[in-house]
Amino acid sequence: MTIATSTELICFLILSSIIVGGGIGVVLIENIVYSAFLLGGVFMSVAGLYLLLNASFVAAAQVLVYVGAINVLILFAIMLVNKREPLKPIKGLKVRKFFSGCVCAGLLALLFRVDITTKWSTPGPQAIGEIATERIGEHLFTDYLLPFELASVLLLMAMIGAIVLARRDTRSIQLEEIDPVRENVIKSSNSNVLIDQSPD
Amino acid sequence: MITTLNIVFVAVVNTGLDLEISFNHFLEGIGLPSSIAHLLWLPLPMLLVLSAALIGVLVTVWLERKISAAAQQRIGPEYAGALGILQPMADGLKLLVKEDIIPQKADSLLFTLGPVLVLIPVILSWLIVPFGQNLLISNVGIGIFLWIALSSIQPIGLLMSGYASNNKYSLLGGLRAAAQSISYEIPLALAVLAVVMMSNSLSTIDIVNQQNTAGFLSWNIFRQPIGFLIFWICALAECERLPFDLPEAEEELVAGYQTEYAGMKFALFYLGSYINLVLSSLLVSVLYLGGWGFPIPIELIANILGQSANDPIIQIITGSIGIMMTVFKTYLLVFLAILLRWTTPRVRIDQLLDLGWKFLLPISLVNLLFTAALKLAFPVAFGG
Amino acid sequence: MVNFFEKATDYTRNAISAGKYLLQGLAVTFDHMRRRPITVQYPYEKLIPSERYRGRIHYEFDKCIACEVCVRVCPINLPVVDWVMNKETKKKELRNYSIDFGVCIFCGNCVEYCPTNCLSMTEEYELAAFDRHSLNFDNVALGRLPTNVTTDPSVIALKELPYLPEGVMDPHELEEGSKRAGKLPSEVLTNKKDKAPIGEQKK
Repeated sequence: MTIATSTELICFLILSSIIVGGGIGVVLIENIVYSAFLLGGVFMSVAGLYLLLNASFVAAAQVLVYVGAINVLILFAIMLVNKREPLKPIKGLKVRKFFSGCVCAGLLALLFRVDITTKWSTPGPQAIGEIATERIGEHLFTDYLLPFELASVLLLMAMIGAIVLARRDTRSIQLEEIDPVRENVIKSSNSNVLIDQSPD
Repeated sequence: MITTLNIVFVAVVNTGLDLEISFNHFLEGIGLPSSIAHLLWLPLPMLLVLSAALIGVLVTVWLERKISAAAQQRIGPEYAGALGILQPMADGLKLLVKEDIIPQKADSLLFTLGPVLVLIPVILSWLIVPFGQNLLISNVGIGIFLWIALSSIQPIGLLMSGYASNNKYSLLGGLRAAAQSISYEIPLALAVLAVVMMSNSLSTIDIVNQQNTAGFLSWNIFRQPIGFLIFWICALAECERLPFDLPEAEEELVAGYQTEYAGMKFALFYLGSYINLVLSSLLVSVLYLGGWGFPIPIELIANILGQSANDPIIQIITGSIGIMMTVFKTYLLVFLAILLRWTTPRVRIDQLLDLGWKFLLPISLVNLLFTAALKLAFPVAFGG
Repeated sequence: MVNFFEKATDYTRNAISAGKYLLQGLAVTFDHMRRRPITVQYPYEKLIPSERYRGRIHYEFDKCIACEVCVRVCPINLPVVDWVMNKETKKKELRNYSIDFGVCIFCGNCVEYCPTNCLSMTEEYELAAFDRHSLNFDNVALGRLPTNVTTDPSVIALKELPYLPEGVMDPHELEEGSKRAGKLPSEVLTNKKDKAPIGEQKK
């Protein structure tokens, strides 16, 4: 065994143990903030696995999208709604836990079956390494153009929906209810105070 | 011994200053197997770059204090070493021996992890910073994209330390920092994308090489002036420097997410912010100011002087001039950042987000489209 | 459509003017870098206190008649005048006098009202101490002659802005014997004599 392969093996073992341990932790830990941070750790280790597979672009994209955007968003949501009161006890929690545990175990068993029965071709296809970025772009804009565009339209719709939900036009309704003195204040706060718009 | 030196010299020259090969040649000449030589080589560039980053930070801190003093008609640090040059060392030493306090009701694990998570991605980003044709740790194919990806980890560390401090100012500071770096990452990435589109590569080496065809006239700042401005504004926002230092706005948030930190943990934040500043300046000089390129092409000067550009001495001179040019450009930008710090007042949080989403984002999109159009129209000037 | 273009041009104009103002600000900051520091390097350089500076109070024990006017005019009755009546001579005999400079506000009322001028203001302002009770000066400490910034050989004495010649902002490297802007009080008086006041003409 050369130095390179043994390093690879050690890295793989560490990363996968982080992923498994972190994943279990995300589900089981009571403190939701810890779960969110652990999720970030899991995402990072998945990026590490991609790096081991010589797919550096995918790894970087994983870090950028999952850690930099999604996980930060989750943390944001948790911290802005930072309620530390204990959750209400749910009826039949133990039964529910048991059932969800069963479903998870079934899924795991299914995955193991797939893993064992499939004939994996080892070693897998040669990693293309550096030119992967170009190849991904090529595929996205030729073979997979339709799913790519559909996904982007879907995201756009979600974004517009979020904007519509977030910006209900509350201002016009409020103005009628509020007394005239405060109305002026609100109006003036809407106009641009700092930037001098007048021509010199 | 002389023969080994000779081998080293030849190796240096032949590969255009590839130090790794020469180092390995040297060790093999002594009688070590090549795998051991490789292992011995591995940590060297990292240590070198790490110490370069630290020295860069020390110089930047000193410059910041001196230039700030000059802009305010003061003298600044004077007695620690000549012209106060040891003042940053003294600061660091002070932070090192200071008591490391973890507030009683803070979450001690996250509280400790936060500053580390802030510092590590910044240091890792130095992987891709080139000081010369072969003078960088790794010429990874995804190059500049790695930096963008790594810099998106930082807000997690900031949120972590903000949350773990159990302090409302820290939490607000952490949230502000995360919001700020998320909103400024997009225009930053788009500005980088325009540059990448022109050089057809994400690698920092290729980006610099593409700029150094005709001396300073072919620098990206002339082809991408708007992109340069967008990148610089976003870089300042990512570094949390004035006018975008809202996360640590003294008047409102005490010190933001750093409020509860002291001693070495605070020093990590401090180090992280300054390394980030130097790194951003380095990347601006790489992306827009021709990196290690001399304003007039070295080959041209060598030809005028009647020397071959492949001459060993010329190669060594070119390499050292390259390092000097990179550092010079970087510190010019650091100077600009310090000057901006004492010129511009801090923006409000709504102005910050307005600027990011309503001004920089559309402009950078337009810039990207415009670059694409120009690339199609004039492939000669805009990288065919 | 036209409206949109108007908006767009307005937007661009605003952005450009903002950039222009930013550059102006940068130019101002940059210009300040070449100016000489205006700070005074304190323990090595000191500003000469201005005329009528109200520093530590000097007190002459022998002149004092223990009338206690200073106590009465003091906003907080600070000076402590310790005297006894000498029955034989039927005169007050002063034993001790003290002012606590940790409490004194240096208003100068006592100096103003002292009938024998035994109190006076000095230029001394370095009254820092490790213990605030050591600021309670007795008549010996009060009678100590004040140190002078201009006579201290280890200190470079600098003139304050109103005492510099016209147009000079920097007290460093001032020429020997340079006069301050405007007339000195003595010159004002001589000028009045030259003009021959109106009262004398009537004579």
